[in-house]
Amino acid sequence: MLADNSAANLVEVQDVHYSRNERAVFNGLSLDVPRGKVTAVMGPSGTGKTTLLNLITGQLLPDEGVVLFDGRVVCPCSRRRLYQTRRQMGVLFQHGALLTNLNVFENVAFPLREHTKLPEQLIRQIVLMKLHSVGLRAAWQHMPAQLSGGMVRRVALARALVMDPTLIIYDEPFVGLDPISKGVIVRLIRQTNDALGITSIVVTHDVAETEILADLSYLLSGGKVVAHGTPQDLHKDKSEIVQQFVRGLADGPVPFHYPGADYSAQLRAMAGA
Amino acid sequence: MNSARAIDISVGFFILLGLGSVLFLVMQTLGLGQVNPGGAYTLQARFDHIGDLKLRAPVSLAGVTIGRVSKITADPVEFRAVVELRIDSNFGNLPIDTYASIASKGLLGGKYIELSPGGDEEVLQDRDEIELTQSAVLLENLIGKYMLNGTAE
Amino acid sequence: MNAALRDFWLSFSQFAATFGGFQMFSFRLLPYLPKAILRPRLISEQIYSLGALSLVLIMFGGLFVGMVLALQSYNTLAEFGSTESLGAFTSEALVRELGPVVAALLFAGRAGSAVASEVGLMRATDQISALELMAVDPIQRVVVPRFVAGVISVPLLAAIFSAMGVLGAYLVGVHVLGVDVGAFWSQINERVDMHADVGIGLFKSFIFGISASLMGVFEGYNAPPNAAGVSRAATRTVVITSVWILLLDFILTGLTLPKV
Repeated sequence: MLADNSAANLVEVQDVHYSRNERAVFNGLSLDVPRGKVTAVMGPSGTGKTTLLNLITGQLLPDEGVVLFDGRVVCPCSRRRLYQTRRQMGVLFQHGALLTNLNVFENVAFPLREHTKLPEQLIRQIVLMKLHSVGLRAAWQHMPAQLSGGMVRRVALARALVMDPTLIIYDEPFVGLDPISKGVIVRLIRQTNDALGITSIVVTHDVAETEILADLSYLLSGGKVVAHGTPQDLHKDKSEIVQQFVRGLADGPVPFHYPGADYSAQLRAMAGA
Repeated sequence: MNSARAIDISVGFFILLGLGSVLFLVMQTLGLGQVNPGGAYTLQARFDHIGDLKLRAPVSLAGVTIGRVSKITADPVEFRAVVELRIDSNFGNLPIDTYASIASKGLLGGKYIELSPGGDEEVLQDRDEIELTQSAVLLENLIGKYMLNGTAE
Repeated sequence: MNAALRDFWLSFSQFAATFGGFQMFSFRLLPYLPKAILRPRLISEQIYSLGALSLVLIMFGGLFVGMVLALQSYNTLAEFGSTESLGAFTSEALVRELGPVVAALLFAGRAGSAVASEVGLMRATDQISALELMAVDPIQRVVVPRFVAGVISVPLLAAIFSAMGVLGAYLVGVHVLGVDVGAFWSQINERVDMHADVGIGLFKSFIFGISASLMGVFEGYNAPPNAAGVSRAATRTVVITSVWILLLDFILTGLTLPKV
């Protein structure tokens, strides 16, 4: 699926290596995000999914390899160009990351107020429109503290969409939600992607949701891509790590027991020298 | 958005209160010589002993403060104390036979300079020296004198 | 013995690293300051939050410190027959030392810790990251207004503290202890010097304000992004700011003592 027609891919991660604290997080990671589609990035906890997002948004610099956005390298770059690139990206954080001192309306209006000189009337219309698309237009006066987790994320989605970005990234959008809220988010992600023709990256470990949602899935493990394809392809993949992940098995390539000394040896050692 | 107005009002009140406090403190501590832009001029006086006369001690004429002590040094040649006085320019007509004596405010009070003008027609100019001076009366010497006199009886 | 030395060296180098980081952070702030004037509303909101909301604490603190100071010093002054100097004595102590120092300490406790927790919490809930990704510089928008507001507020708070202290000393001195009202105020006028005392006091409180604000935002901005990290940052702010203010006060007082 690594197409050589780069115009078809909005984001390309090419052979990226990245280490943190002397631990290699990525070891030759390559993946492509095709335009206009929903791409899922999955993997066991700790494989660096959030780090990948940081590499795409330019908050982190790869040690080796490049990350391309719309054909151009994301970083190294000037601050100005980085901000310009980021204006085309919307990010939905795991817990929404709304500004706690502003109400819902002001939160969604925030990027407009900071970056545009649009008249107040126009701002009002845009904000209400975006809030309507996530179903929260009537909640515009509430403070973030008064909203449930699912609603916070919906407002954050409206905010991420308010500047009409080309790419939208969802960082673990389903974490901690009840089935109804999950369904809402799934529907919103799909609708947004199709209605607005934007590209979506969903970082998650929710296999079930991904199957409904994603056009393309990547499975990361050990700093590399171990499987990619449609969700159905992943199900049929024979490798052990993919099977463990997709079927949710407790033990396998990702071991149940934290690596350490042999059990009986340790018992003997603690009982007495 | 009247919560924004409430904030503005509170901030304004706070800043006014702060500046008002500064003003209050400044007004309470403003003294002569610091406020007369017309200026002040300097006179010198030498004393055998100044006691515990301090910098910024008042210089008084008929009991009214007209200046401050601005510098105190010792003369290594004459072995006397050299005191500089900053006097308000409004009092620029002190005769050259003015007496400068070091007096105490009360028995244990601080020392200050009392000026007693003479009658000469010539007046002291800036940087002139007051010739007639009376040194501080030291309590210990006074007590010593009494003891001596007492035992001599 | 070697282990102890090694531990000491580790703590010291960690301290030095943090201190260096603090210096770097402070220098980073400098170019942001001129632009901060363009957003007076942000600064004004922070002055409200840090300064105006500390008013009650400062005013009561100042009043009571002044009253206690008058009570305490009266006896000692009476021994030397100088009770009429009560005004001068208490005012000098307040304006030069107690006003700047105590106001700054109270500020560090109330506002410094608040700033550290606010900023730390913003980092922990990804709000700082969100701002970065929305192409808004978090330093400009979150850190600098709080810093500027602190630098403006602390000298004002110190002046209010001193003024309330003088008022408290007056109330106790004149109306309770019987010091002559005329003597009280005239002695202040005589003995307390505007430049040397009031001026120095304001200068000190300005320096304290810079320190307290810098430390609050620094701790908050660099706090580990979790609940424990944020609360630790808040506590550290109070402790480090207080120690630093007392240390600075010693140095500044030594440097500015009038020559007798």
